[in-house]
Parts: sequence; structure tokens; C-alpha cells
Amino acid sequence: MAVLQAILDGLMIGGVYAVISIGLTLVFGVMGIVNFAQAEFLMLGMFVAYYAWAWLGLDPLLAAPLAFGVVFLLGAAIQRVLIRRVLKAPEVAQIFLTVGMLIVLENAALLMFGSGFKSVSTPYQTSSLQLGPLFISVPYLAAFAMSVASGLALFLFMRASWFGRAMRATAQDPMAAKLMGIDSDRMHMLAFALGVGLTAFGGAVILPYLTVSPTVGAQFVVLMFTVVVLGGLGSVAGAVVGGLAVGIIQSLSALAFPIQLQNLVLFLVFIAVLALRPKGLLGGAR
Amino acid sequence: MKPSDRAPRSLNRRQVLVAGAAGAIAAPYLIRDAVAQGKAVNVGVIMPLSGANAQFGINSRNGVELVADEINAAGGIKALGGARINLVVADSTSNPTTAANVAQRLLTQNDVVAIIGAFASSLTIAISEVTERRGVPLFTMSFSDQITSRGFENIFQVVAKASVLGKAQFDGTVAIAATAGQKLEKVAIMYEDTAYGTSQAGGLRAGAKAAGVEVVMDDAYPLGITDVTPLINKLRSSGAQAVFPVSYLNDSLQIIRSMRQQKVTIPAIGGAAGYVIPDFEKGLGEYAEGVLSISPANYDLDPALTDRFRKRYGYFMVHEALEHAVCMDVLAQAMEKAKSTAPEALRKVLHGTRFEGGWTKAMTGGAVQFDKTGLNTLSVPVMVQWRNKELVTVWPSEYAKGKAVWTN
Repeated sequence: MAVLQAILDGLMIGGVYAVISIGLTLVFGVMGIVNFAQAEFLMLGMFVAYYAWAWLGLDPLLAAPLAFGVVFLLGAAIQRVLIRRVLKAPEVAQIFLTVGMLIVLENAALLMFGSGFKSVSTPYQTSSLQLGPLFISVPYLAAFAMSVASGLALFLFMRASWFGRAMRATAQDPMAAKLMGIDSDRMHMLAFALGVGLTAFGGAVILPYLTVSPTVGAQFVVLMFTVVVLGGLGSVAGAVVGGLAVGIIQSLSALAFPIQLQNLVLFLVFIAVLALRPKGLLGGAR
Repeated sequence: MKPSDRAPRSLNRRQVLVAGAAGAIAAPYLIRDAVAQGKAVNVGVIMPLSGANAQFGINSRNGVELVADEINAAGGIKALGGARINLVVADSTSNPTTAANVAQRLLTQNDVVAIIGAFASSLTIAISEVTERRGVPLFTMSFSDQITSRGFENIFQVVAKASVLGKAQFDGTVAIAATAGQKLEKVAIMYEDTAYGTSQAGGLRAGAKAAGVEVVMDDAYPLGITDVTPLINKLRSSGAQAVFPVSYLNDSLQIIRSMRQQKVTIPAIGGAAGYVIPDFEKGLGEYAEGVLSISPANYDLDPALTDRFRKRYGYFMVHEALEHAVCMDVLAQAMEKAKSTAPEALRKVLHGTRFEGGWTKAMTGGAVQFDKTGLNTLSVPVMVQWRNKELVTVWPSEYAKGKAVWTN
């Protein structure tokens, strides 16, 4: 029963890991840029949701689309002004830019929001559903449901809409896409904005069970990269599989080992997967 | 090359410069130097003003500032010709290496006569290596046993040690449960794995052993934890009658929330830090009511003094602010008595004096006296309970301001 409970908890938290990591993999898949600042957009999403709650009394789950919107616009602007200029630059320049963005965003947040921890209080925060002997935490379940919904929305967007198909075409072969009349510049902007927006959305939905501070990104950045590389860098489906796998591995490892070793177990599995499948669980499939 | 070709590039460079400047302004080493007026004594204040423990650092700085301003308003240090106290505040972040570097800089560049800091034990230990080498007094309210157990001559700890706090956390709980008619047989311990949590958990274990109570869960977790569910699952199936979580703020909120979600209703007796600040109540609302915690001091022991803090900053005087205020007051009293800021003279006075009056009245014991390891021997921990958004001292009986409520 403890195992079942652990898998359930891991599944729910893994769904959230998946959504915050999809953005990272999307940006890499379409533009070939590794965005080290991705976790800072999670932090921004959490702050948007926090202030929406503090000033407008909006529940963080309802504020999630707002967080998505605000960070989407910010992401579009950043892509236009900064990222676009390094797309053809050497990788070192791209790394410097995104790491620099990480430092600037984190410190700007420290200046604007102060360094303290901020926490929302919602009625469902401390409630849970009981299924026989299993407990399902309501804030985790809500975050999971919102994550699944946003993941499905992205999936439909990529499959069915013209923009989605154009974006996938750009990812597959930028030159051929350009020859077919697709504005690859615009696709890049859309991909980056969508990527960071989704991560911000994830930040908003986890706020009910976490606290936000300008340095919260540091708790997630390694996790996000693990999820993405585990699933296969650049693959959206891979991020979903990777996210769920990371959540479940973390949760199950706590049954047998002290919780401090959670990430040790995770990285042992990670190294084993990379040794056997260097391109990740779903490597190659896009 | 046409001039117009160059224009966008120079704009680029300017943008880079602007970004760089923004980064530099925001660098986590903000050092603020008040304009020295006439003769002034520089006192270093090193606190975690950013990162995981920032809120505690800010509270602590407020406490020191309050007392320094009061002393300056009353005419400065009289034995030194009315010298003003000039606080040099520096951010240690939550990283011991940075804390040590900042301490080094305060000593070499700012000529500080003493350092007060740095809330978190791991930071204080890092700073103490530097101050000990330079022979400058370091005042602290960090708990860890390591602080005074290394034979250092220049460290002064105004509160009881973590192992003593841990034991009191256990003994107080047993006493309160007994008063309510419950005999504790099984308890659980969970603690954050830095110097503070580890030391205090040691005290809890010792208390349980001495009382013959079984510890059915004994788990450390990392400070930056983002999911405490596995811990609470384990707690639920452990059969414990009470749980002792030793946590800072972020983890304390997660632990209490997860307990409530999973309908774990056993009493939680916090280990100070995250459990005794206003943000705990703000984050949990009604769920904070009735939560017990150990605390090295509490503001309701001397409301007349601590209301001065509430009036200036708008929230009750949390224990770290109170104890840091005491650190500042004791340093000022020592300078008055030594009539000097020389480290040897200060050290001599600090080791051989019973400090009374001023802010020391708000401590348990009503005064401060350091033994040769630098530990304040008069301080004893108290047990506090959340009641209607305030902390009420409920144990031991000689300090209690209210009766403990125990739900089993």
C-alpha cells in the first residue's frame, strides 16, 4: 500500500515536472538553444500568481493563465531583443547569454520583490481526498490536473493548428520551412514565448503547496534538465515521460532510503539510462 | 565601413553594459556604510539577507538596528567620548564561503571592532574561523553546539546550545502532555540536515533516551526540500504520538500543510526557527493555531522592551531579533566598561562580567554571563504556543504567561 501511495504521489508531482520542463525542451527542439534561465521563468510565473492572489484575491490556479500570458509576452520580447541575435552565434555565446539572463532575472527579482519567502493561503491547501487507505492531496491533484490540461492544449496546438505545424516544420528543417513560406523568425519567437510561458504556468499551479522566493529557480533547474535529458532533449513527449519518471523515482526512493538520498537515486538511474540510451528514453522520436 | 553599419553594434555593447551594471548593483554583497559623523565605532553585522534564510536575516538586522539607533539617540558610547555606533551591514547570502569572505572584508576594510551574526549556525561557524584568527569578538544567537565547543576565545553565544534546546523541546513536551493526562511512548523526529537541525535532533534523541521514549521515526531532509509528502507518509504509518520537526520557514510550512492534508492530527512541536515567526502564521492561517515550539527566548517575557520593536517594524519581536538586540546591547555595555574598543580589553570584560539591565532583562535569567567557552550560562529555553496570531510562553512554569493547550 505504501508503494501504491508513493507511486500516486510521484505521478502527481511528476506531471508538474513534465509541464515545467516541456518549455525547456520546446525551446531546444525548435531553436537549438539550451536555455539555462528557464527555471527563472518558473519563478516569475510564481510571482505573477502570488501578486494576483495578494492584490486581486485570485486563486493561483485561476491566475495560471495570467502567469502564462505575462511571461509569454516577456518571453517574446526577450527572444526579439536578445536571443534572436545569438541564434547563429557560437554555442559559447548562447550559453553566456542564457546564464547571464539567469543572473539578471534572479537579481532583478531580489531588487523588486525582496528576498523573503512568500506563500499563498487557499481553502483547499490542507485538504485531501481519501480513496480507501490512499490519500490524494488536493493541491497536488489540482496542479497535476492543470498540468495535464496545459500539456494536452499544447499537444493539440502542435498537431492541429497551422502555427503548430509550422513550428514543427521549422524544427525539422529551417531551410525547407523557409522555402515553404514559413517565417522562421516568427516561429522562433512563438516557440520561445510558448516555452517560457508554459514553465510560468507550471510555476503558478505549484504555488498552493510551495513558497516563492527569487531564488526558488535553483531548486528546480537541475531537475528540469534531468527531466528533459532523461526523456530525450528536444522531444516534448520525452519531457512528459521524463517528468513522470523523475517524480516516481524520487517518491519510490524515499521508501527505501533516507529522503536526503532522493536525488542520488535519481541520478544513478539517470546515468544508467544515459549509458544504455544516450539519446534519452524517447531519443530521436519527436 | 559606413557609420550606419557601426550603429547597431555600439548599441549592442551599451545594452551589454547596462545589463552588466544591473547585475553589479544587485550583486549579493550589498555593503552599506552609514555616513560616519564625528567619532564612530564600526560594528559589523553579517546576516543572510538573500537566499533561503533571508527573512531571518532581515529580522535579526532589524533587532540590531533598533538597539544601535537607541544607543546613538541617547548619546552614543559615553566612555568613548560619545562615540556613535556605525553599523556596517553585509549580506552573507546563505552560503558559508560567502559569509567567511564578507567577514574578512569587514575586518580588513571597515575596521570593525566586533561582528554580530549570522543567524544560521553554518554561517556563524564559517565567520568564527575568521574572527578567531583576527582575535575580534563575534556575538551570535546561532544554536549549534559546535560554536562554543571548539575552544575559541572570541565567540559569545547569548542563547542555550542546540542540544539543550532539543532536550528542552522534548522535556517540555513530555511535561505538557503529562499535565493533559497523556503519557508519551512513541515520538517522531524530522530535521533539516545543516548544523542547526543536526545538533538539535541530537538533543531530542538524548531527551527521548533519558525518558525511555521510543523514537519511531528519525529522518533528516535537505534544507531546500520541495516535496515533503514521503516524510509525512512515513510519519502517518509510524504510529508516533507527537512529532518534533526542526525546520526553517519554507520546510515548516510544507510539513504542517502536508500533515493537515493527510489528516495527521498528532501535536507538532517545532524546533524554533521556522515555527516562531509571523510568516509561519501568515502562511498557515488558522492551521497555525495551537502549534507548539521551543524557543530560546520570547517577546512576552518583557513586553515593555519588545513593544518598541513592534512599534517600529509593525510585527512582534521575533526571538532572533530579540537575541541580536541583546548581542548589540552587551557589546555596548562591554565597551562602556572597558573604556576601549581594543579586542583584548573587550574580551577580558566579556569573560568576567555579569551584564544586567537594558535588553538583557528580556532574556530568561534576566541577565547575560559568558563562561570561558563564550556560552551565556543564564539562558534557558522556553516552550511557546501559537494563540490568536501571537506566541504565548507556556513552559517552564516560572516563565509561563499562559496554560498550554494539548490535543491528543
